Amino acid sequence: MASVSFESVTKRFDAVEAVRELTLAAADGEFLVLVGPSGSGKTTALRMLAGLESVSEGKIRIGERVVNRVAPRERDIAMVFQDYALYPQMTVYDNLAFALRRRKAPKQRIDEQVRRAAAALELDALLERKPGQLSGGQQQRVALGRALVRDPAVFLMDEPLSNLDAKLRVQTRGEIKRLQKEIGTTTVYVTHDQVEAMTMGDRIAVMNQGRIEQVGTPAEVYDEPANVFVAGFVGSPGMSFAPAGRLGLDLGAPPETIVGVRPEHACPWVEGEGLLGPLDGEVAYVEALGRETFLGVRHEEETQLVLCVEGRSAAQPGDEVRFGLVREGLRFFDPESGRAQRR
Amino acid sequence: MIDRREQALTYTLLGVFSLIALVPIAGILLTALQAPGEVASFGHPNGLHFGNFATAWDEGNFSQYLRSSAIVTVSVVALATLLSILAGYAFGMMRFRGDQALFYLFLLGLMVPLESTVVPLYYDLRDLGLTDTYAALIFPQVGVSVAFGTFWMRAFFRSVPRSLVEAARLDGSSSWSTLWRVVLPVGRPAVLTMMVLVFMWTWNEFLLALVMVSDEALRTAPLGLAFFSGRNTTDFALLAAGSVIVATPVVILYVFLQRHFIRGMLSGAVKG
Amino acid sequence: MSGAVLAPPGEPRRIAYLYLLPGLVVFGLFVLAPLVHSAWLSLFTWDGVTPGAWTGLDNYKAVVSDPRLRSAFLHAFVLVGFYAVLPIAIGLLLAAAMSRTRVRGLALFRTVLFLPQVIALVVVAVMWRMIYAPDGGLINGGLRAIGLGGLAQNWLGSFSLALPSVGLIGTWVMYGLAMVLFTAGVQKIPQSLYDAARMDGAGPVREFFAVTLPGLRNEIAVALTLTTIQALRSFDLVYITTGGGPGDSTSVPAFEVYNRAFRGGDVGAAAAIGVCIAALIFVLTVLINRIAEREGTR
Repeated sequence: MASVSFESVTKRFDAVEAVRELTLAAADGEFLVLVGPSGSGKTTALRMLAGLESVSEGKIRIGERVVNRVAPRERDIAMVFQDYALYPQMTVYDNLAFALRRRKAPKQRIDEQVRRAAAALELDALLERKPGQLSGGQQQRVALGRALVRDPAVFLMDEPLSNLDAKLRVQTRGEIKRLQKEIGTTTVYVTHDQVEAMTMGDRIAVMNQGRIEQVGTPAEVYDEPANVFVAGFVGSPGMSFAPAGRLGLDLGAPPETIVGVRPEHACPWVEGEGLLGPLDGEVAYVEALGRETFLGVRHEEETQLVLCVEGRSAAQPGDEVRFGLVREGLRFFDPESGRAQRR
Repeated sequence: MIDRREQALTYTLLGVFSLIALVPIAGILLTALQAPGEVASFGHPNGLHFGNFATAWDEGNFSQYLRSSAIVTVSVVALATLLSILAGYAFGMMRFRGDQALFYLFLLGLMVPLESTVVPLYYDLRDLGLTDTYAALIFPQVGVSVAFGTFWMRAFFRSVPRSLVEAARLDGSSSWSTLWRVVLPVGRPAVLTMMVLVFMWTWNEFLLALVMVSDEALRTAPLGLAFFSGRNTTDFALLAAGSVIVATPVVILYVFLQRHFIRGMLSGAVKG
Repeated sequence: MSGAVLAPPGEPRRIAYLYLLPGLVVFGLFVLAPLVHSAWLSLFTWDGVTPGAWTGLDNYKAVVSDPRLRSAFLHAFVLVGFYAVLPIAIGLLLAAAMSRTRVRGLALFRTVLFLPQVIALVVVAVMWRMIYAPDGGLINGGLRAIGLGGLAQNWLGSFSLALPSVGLIGTWVMYGLAMVLFTAGVQKIPQSLYDAARMDGAGPVREFFAVTLPGLRNEIAVALTLTTIQALRSFDLVYITTGGGPGDSTSVPAFEVYNRAFRGGDVGAAAAIGVCIAALIFVLTVLINRIAEREGTR
């Protein structure tokens, strides 16, 4: 049980800076998610925390201890790898027991801990099988179990769900979250999938090109994005943007200001609802998802907004559509820095 | 679209050349079974006289030659395998200063044939009084096999997913236990292929034995056969029997493990 | 902080030398050191017993000037034709035929074809000496049996026929390797390339040169390397079948090494020839792989 912190950590590979002056902390027991596109530095940050990469500058602490020079096995951490990295020639039991055996724990205790972890992840029936005989989901659970058994101070997870099919992913998401709440171990979780981040994290850190764009609770990051990048990255689909001037609405902002609006705050025009508008546009594409439909609408050149319609819509690409915006949903961003402005 | 003509051509080619490969071998087997002492003639079957093998074995001393070969070959295979695994592990999984240069050194050694080093080896070992010993046969061949084996094992170790090794490192495994418990178990086929190739090359080695060994007690099988053939130029049957005895161990290994032989050679395995 | 990348903490570094040490020691002592020693010895005239005399590069000059040595190396290149060129041609023939068809039972053929490779060359030599025997041999016996007794020769005893006869033994040993290599390689060439070529109107010959041959580039390089090295090193076959004779007609470099060092009392010359063999192998290997790489990027 320990906190984790990055203090102005930089990582350079030759001339390239993969992580720039990262300062971030996870409190004891917190589930912190690092999310961002590929190349954002999130995996590098995680690997530095694990001790699999050296630190170019800055300090990494686990608890109060600076661990820059501490070997991975001395850091009291456990990691779940993206490809699971299960030992292929060993049974599930041996995979789970491996780390404990390396530490020369007494056989009795090893057996206890392995069986306890196996029970928590419903692996009891599979203990004598080898990884090659397991399904993807089962392998993933063994990978989790291996981390569990160690009972470390911190869990590190490197995109553990990315190799699972969509349905399994949703299911496992919940299980991991539930497990973490039960055990209460600090967890640092890396993913490129912002839905995973939003649903699992106590707090999420959005990263881009080696820097943190924003850290906050999912609600904070969603409702009050710190900049254009975060606003566009978080949410499915993310925020749509248009220069204030193009919309021709009285927004009290200079025309170059970038206005952001989420699909749920942009809908077909209805009188008397207090919507801003009406705005006219042409449907560019339709995404019908059953419960809701997203319409990509082109309003004037180069301005495309996404509308959200409940249920099904009869709109077809090429149709003219009249729509309005919810004032409370609008966010304003500085056109040069991309940073959010006070409303 | 399968062209009938091309299929026929392919099977014909395969068949003809397979036959050509087999005929001398079948011939020598038949010759070995010929009645002893008759007019020398290759491949004419005139009965199944297994006695030739017994004669070669005892009077021809082939039992002794096989024993010598076994001692040398098993030693070389065991030592070369161990040393190659260790060195290949270092090259394949660790970063250290000079690793590039040292690897090129091994690569260079891969291309140096025994024919080029046998002369100084002889004189150096003679000065040390080590000619006519098993050591003189074992260690040079270990050296040559290690060049190949290191190259081979390095290729295998590089193919192991990094995350596996990192997981082991995180679990507190030392480099030694990672090698033997985590990585090598996955590499059984690669190790077996290496062992099989080194076995074949060592068993079949002739020049080194010719140069190093003058004591009949230490003659390896190919050397024994060479002397035997010098003495029995006309007794085809006996000669054939001796040849069969010398070739059999490797052929048996081949029959059971041919996948490994072929895979090894296909990867361009080069012996110095 | 400099631009150097630090190794992650705990990653094995110094210990790598420990792993390397045993293998390196044996390799160094029994392969590298003798090679260097060989180069050293080649600069002397020495009979192996009395002290030697410095001769500088004379032994190497002899390789070019001494007709016996010259012919030995010439013979080696002739053997390259038999050990390498012929088998590869046979292998390519098979690959060409196979490229458009599916072959069943390939595994069985492979096993048989590869068999000559695993038999000790001494055994192969003894085997073929009996086959080539003027009386009682398979070839002459066969020729006589079909009434062509007039063609029967003393194959290994003839000045003109001995070298080709030995060469053909090498062909017999090597063609299986080439065939197995190329059949494996041909199966890796995507069928779509052949389909595309056919749609462009290519006939079987064009297909071979446009698709099969380039596709087998790596396999050809491997085959060429392995077989050429075998040809240049050739000792066992010559020693057993002809002993270099009749006369000098089948002398080869490796045999000259043995001859001069242990029968002729000229260790320096032997060492020089040995170094030349190694150098030749090195140059040819590098050349073959360079060409293969260059063709690959075209």
